[in-house]
Amino acid sequence: MRIKKWLPTIIIAGVAGLVLAFALGQLLPTLRTTESGIVVDINDPKLINRGKYIARTADCVACHTTLNGEAYAGGLPMLTPLGAIYSTNITPDKRTGIGDYTFDDFNNAIKHGVRKDNNALYPAMPYPSYQIMPDKDVAAMYAYFMTEVKAVYQPNKDSELPPIFNWRWPLAYWQAIFAPKREFIAEASTVALTRGQYLVEGPGHCGSCHTERGIGFQELALSNAESNAFLGGAVIDGWRAKSLRGEYEGLSTWSTEELIDFFKTGRTDTTSAFGAMAEVVEHSTQYMTEEDLYAMSVYLKALSPTDGKPVYTPKKTDTTTQKLLDGVYDSRGAILYAEYCQICHRADGQGVPRIFPALAGNSAVFSKEADSVLQITLSGGRMPKTPHDRMAFTMPEFSHLSDADIAEVVNYIRNSWTNQASKIDVNDVVRMRHFLRKKPKTGTDIAPNLSINAASKGASHE
Amino acid sequence: MNKSFIKHATAALALTLITLGTSGCSDPDPVEHNPAQYDLILTEDANADIGHYKLPQDTSILKEPNAEQIFYGKRLLNETKRLLPDHVGAEMNCNSCHISQGKVPLGDPYINSYNTYPRVMPRSGTEVDLEARINGCFQRSMNGTPLDRESPEMLAMIAYMKWLGQNTPKTQKVAINNAGKVDTSLVADTARGEKIYYAQCAACHGDNGEGLKDSRGDIVFPPLWGDKSFNIGAGMARTYKAAAFIKYNMPMGIQTKGLWGHGNVLSDQDAVDVAEFFAHKPRPDFLGKVHDWPSGKKPKDARY
Repeated sequence: MRIKKWLPTIIIAGVAGLVLAFALGQLLPTLRTTESGIVVDINDPKLINRGKYIARTADCVACHTTLNGEAYAGGLPMLTPLGAIYSTNITPDKRTGIGDYTFDDFNNAIKHGVRKDNNALYPAMPYPSYQIMPDKDVAAMYAYFMTEVKAVYQPNKDSELPPIFNWRWPLAYWQAIFAPKREFIAEASTVALTRGQYLVEGPGHCGSCHTERGIGFQELALSNAESNAFLGGAVIDGWRAKSLRGEYEGLSTWSTEELIDFFKTGRTDTTSAFGAMAEVVEHSTQYMTEEDLYAMSVYLKALSPTDGKPVYTPKKTDTTTQKLLDGVYDSRGAILYAEYCQICHRADGQGVPRIFPALAGNSAVFSKEADSVLQITLSGGRMPKTPHDRMAFTMPEFSHLSDADIAEVVNYIRNSWTNQASKIDVNDVVRMRHFLRKKPKTGTDIAPNLSINAASKGASHE
Repeated sequence: MNKSFIKHATAALALTLITLGTSGCSDPDPVEHNPAQYDLILTEDANADIGHYKLPQDTSILKEPNAEQIFYGKRLLNETKRLLPDHVGAEMNCNSCHISQGKVPLGDPYINSYNTYPRVMPRSGTEVDLEARINGCFQRSMNGTPLDRESPEMLAMIAYMKWLGQNTPKTQKVAINNAGKVDTSLVADTARGEKIYYAQCAACHGDNGEGLKDSRGDIVFPPLWGDKSFNIGAGMARTYKAAAFIKYNMPMGIQTKGLWGHGNVLSDQDAVDVAEFFAHKPRPDFLGKVHDWPSGKKPKDARY
């Protein structure tokens, strides 16, 4: 009875509320945008070059390019639990790209997540990080994109999100709540630490992968000053983007020199970048100057451990090596390791420097979650290609193994030699295999093209 | 306070929607082992349809009454230099050439070895049994000395090969090839081979062909020439045999498929060029060479 009486009022109030929310949602983006008053000389070769370098540090190409697609033409799917969204065409094409963007349009999209048509961008675009970039750096990027990037006609793809989720205006509220205005505040006084902090927090947008996200997909912290959830590690795209903080699961076992080597070449003597980080090295960090690499590395090394996390690896004596050498296979995991892994990663788990990464003592192996080890084991992948090493080696996929055996061998690797890590079970493998069926391949997921002469490749098709 | 309320409300809404969005798709069943599978054929009638051979995984060795012996054989084949230093002169293991424990077609597999021998080999002109064949490798590719035919080591290696054959009857064979083909009419260009070697082989086998050891001093990549390499009596010292091996099996760790992520990047010409380049580098002599090819039908790439 009562409900019946109130129903019209509730409906009217609901509709009115929605209309109001919609209207406010239209207004919110205009509060974020800025007018810089900057006039960019897009034909200044120095500015273009600087912009090219800044675009490298921001790694725009990684997300705005598909495998075998035209650079910056977009179309790369990002899988969300509700469906894929696609990166957009950011070439200077006037019909499908950003060819008619003014500098302010460009600046507002990059730093504030607002498109030229005043709609909010999905937070897959790391504008919460980019927003600390100075306007003059974005101006340099603008000059680069408008002059040196090839215009490609390629219409943007609609998202696969279901209705309501594909509405743009609620994103304005997301922005208001989770991406409020933020300035760069240097934590330390040295030039290198400040530069490192800026690169990591801003253009490098390391937190996009390495900081855990909250329930609204927002990064739990956008800077170290905010909280030490910043760069504390997260799982994204089936990879464990490890903690970059001072605990042993993070970077305490790494030296500054190793970090520099890693960013520059994608490898150290004991490890190599794989998965999404291989993409980062291949597209971005390998091009960075020595000064910038040093700055990022010292800044990361200066981050304190995540609260309550131990800095040193708990002591453990290696009994694995001797057992493998003696053929004492005391678990199913050991038999599998000896058959499939030992030839490259060796009995002592040390691999071969710059060719096969070590598994023993490798923080990517014993990191909190096993996702990265699982994914690379199931789908393989390759190291980044840089001019510093002659070859970019791959790990083959072991998808023909049973899910139960993958779990056995991953647990074995994560808990052998001096490694200590949590155990996974067969369902973790089932879920990863299921996830990988939908995941698009990227450049470092597939084998390098080593053919000496593409024309003579006809015979090698097997 | 207002802001925190909005945060919580948004969070609750998002949580509900995500739960709705992701529930309803339950996990599929775990996937079982999907082994490589090859046809079985009769030795006298290759077209007869008589079933399949499934490549076994080492975990199934545990089911065998002589599991310990089979595992020992497998280890000897994998780590021949470390476990049998008195018999191996070169820095080589059997499985330096027998890809992935002899389990890969075109990579010198052991899959048919147990049933193939004894057979008459063109090189010796006589009937050779499996023990003699293995000892041939010890004296040529490993530049070492033969094992006692009745030694536990010899018996263990044969036990592994027998297990790998999975009791395929003597009259049958698994329809795979031990080596791939290259065009033997191609003429090698050593200078081009040298370039290919430094681009695609030297990272592992060394700029001076010296090979590479692991942190314990055990061989990972065998030397391709010099005192510690295979001798001139080895098949690998012959240009076209080496080329066929390289084309389908080298480099390793460069594909995302295959047990070693290996092979299939070089053309026939590439493979012949690079094979000629390293095969003809200085290497140990083979004293038994005088007995080879007694009937005189020497292949054109023979070294003596």
